[in-house]
Amino acid sequence: MRAHTISRYIGLVLLFNAVFLFISFLVSLFNSDSALYPLLYSFLITFLFGIFPLIFVPKSDFISKEEGFLIVILSWLFVCLFGALPFILWGGEFSITNAWFESVSGYTTTGSSILTDVEVLPKGLLFWRSATHFIGGVGIIVLALVVLPNLGHARFVLLRSELSTLAGTNFKYQTRKVLQILLYVYCGLILTETVLLKISGMNLFDALLHSFGTIATGGFSTKNLSIAYYNSPAIEIIIMIFMILSGIHFGLLFATITGLSFNVFKSTVIRFYVFLMLTGIILVSADLYINNFNSLFESLRYSAFQVISLGTSTGFATTDSANWSGFAHMILIFFTFLCACAGSTSGGIKVERLIIFLKAIKNQVLLLHHPRGVFTIKLDSNTVEDDIVRNALVFIVLYIIIVFLSSVVLAGFGVDSTTALSASAATMGNVGPGFGEVGSMGNYSTIPDAGKWILTANMLLGRLEIYGFISLFVLKTWR
Amino acid sequence: MGIRLKIFTGFMILAIMLLIAGFISIHEFMNIGNYVQKLLDDNYRSIEASGTMVEALEREDSGILLLLMGNWEEGRKILKEGDDLFNKGFSSAENNLTIPGEHKYVERIKQDYNIYKKTWERPIVGTDKEGNFEWYYNKSHQMFLQIKESVKQLMEINQETMYKTGSDLKNRSQRAVMPGIVAIIAAVVFTLLFNYFINFYIAKPIVHLTRGIEEYNNTGEIFKFTSETSDEIGRLTNAIKEMLQSLTYK
Repeated sequence: MRAHTISRYIGLVLLFNAVFLFISFLVSLFNSDSALYPLLYSFLITFLFGIFPLIFVPKSDFISKEEGFLIVILSWLFVCLFGALPFILWGGEFSITNAWFESVSGYTTTGSSILTDVEVLPKGLLFWRSATHFIGGVGIIVLALVVLPNLGHARFVLLRSELSTLAGTNFKYQTRKVLQILLYVYCGLILTETVLLKISGMNLFDALLHSFGTIATGGFSTKNLSIAYYNSPAIEIIIMIFMILSGIHFGLLFATITGLSFNVFKSTVIRFYVFLMLTGIILVSADLYINNFNSLFESLRYSAFQVISLGTSTGFATTDSANWSGFAHMILIFFTFLCACAGSTSGGIKVERLIIFLKAIKNQVLLLHHPRGVFTIKLDSNTVEDDIVRNALVFIVLYIIIVFLSSVVLAGFGVDSTTALSASAATMGNVGPGFGEVGSMGNYSTIPDAGKWILTANMLLGRLEIYGFISLFVLKTWR
Repeated sequence: MGIRLKIFTGFMILAIMLLIAGFISIHEFMNIGNYVQKLLDDNYRSIEASGTMVEALEREDSGILLLLMGNWEEGRKILKEGDDLFNKGFSSAENNLTIPGEHKYVERIKQDYNIYKKTWERPIVGTDKEGNFEWYYNKSHQMFLQIKESVKQLMEINQETMYKTGSDLKNRSQRAVMPGIVAIIAAVVFTLLFNYFINFYIAKPIVHLTRGIEEYNNTGEIFKFTSETSDEIGRLTNAIKEMLQSLTYK
């Protein structure tokens, strides 16, 4: 393990972050707001720490798989740490714990906030807060790799270490092409949504920041009432469409746009994803029509937005779902666990794993009837290898265990059971809002500090898909 | 990049971090000073003026009661003093309009006071108003309460702003202190990192090189160590290697 080489790559990632801190500083300068010096100093510190390893450590194109893993995990940790600096320096509601929480929540695109009043934040800080979504959306390493100079073999190792284990299936291109696809789709979606939101009546600043939040499936808003502030069906429809698109594998979106034969319309995963969403919307709408709203339109409007928002791990809200029935809550919790597809910016267990899980159950039942039979699992006519099936099943079990354990610990700190369970699930799935005190119109300010640290660990575990984060602490892996 | 420049850059980075932190802290502390002055100038003066006006109004109310009881001389004296005191307080408030919308409150006080003043400017002693407590409760005292409420509103808006400015001060003080704390932590971490690089890229190769030369002296075997960098250490390693090779072949 070459610590100096690892530090060089982490330095590169920090430099990339420094660019966004500088842009936030310019936003602050333009608006003459109180975040000017906090952003300037954060930029300088991040820049200096980023540039220093580059001065000392010579370039090395080759990095091992283990080094790649460590670079990815440490980059996430360091980026979250340096990303918290503007919040710590600005003050207000940001204690050190709160700043760390907000930073991790931003980078992991969770979108949970400790702020009771978002609207008091200066524009520069609001921009930085949403920029963390933009950077963390497709992965801090992936985004950095796109703009960094040719890194040869290192680029391949880092990309594979960063992407979801299931995401590679639909990326049948060279590393450079994969990075280009990610960049084009990501930026293309953000630009398109920004323009549409602007046309629909949002100001440019809000439109851009809400687009960062949508496409990165983050959920940070510039308003205390989130999307409910605008009370505009047009804005809600635009955001819903882009939330759904952001939950789809970017490779498939690219294939569809460029007219390739295997596209979103032919993918089993996408069909299942859309089917689940539609079922969820219909069930919640029916429940809301019976229990909450007199109008079918209102029921459909609010249920569709909430289901899509949680089902894509975005976390925007148009209403307070806390007073919805237990049935609606259960469906929303299912989507909080599941979220969208691999290869997108969403978190959670992901649709692919659910399909593999269901097919594994089916095979197990078939094995009971035909003990000598050989049954394989297929996804879009491709056989899923046994280690991927095993990986997916262990992932689901681990995921549920971690959510359960963190819920128990949170409850131990005095958090009520609904809040504890939903907060754990919402942070693990990088969704954002849960139920109870951390509902769609609430925030995480009432969670005790120790609980906030546990939830940030959940966010990182969810974003790095558990194994990557855990392996950091299993030293034997690195020998 | 040469060793000298690398070491110089390291120290420069350390210096920049501390300098900027110092600059921001000084700037924010100066801002705190300005904020305190602003707090006193903008809000405290208006609150004090409001307090003066309330005291003046209460005196005037007492003066009216004295007139009602037929005590003309004492009553008029207190009313005159009250009026002077009110005008003093009002003038101070009028010349210290610092909050958006504050002028509306001051204007209302002016209008209410003019109406109130008319009730006691006209003779009371020797008229049907003398001993008429019903007139006092229904008209004079009601006007007194109304204007007192207007003055209180002016006081409240200034108190609210003062509280807000005070809260801002808390944030400002954090903004002044935090860069220093961050700079100290960053400087410590940076020093450790700097030390690691100096050790790995400068000290360690020199140790290896020294051992290699000593080994050559003892065994005649040329060392295999190579430097990762192309700076002075790298060039020195290659030069010594070449020298030893030429010595061996001679």
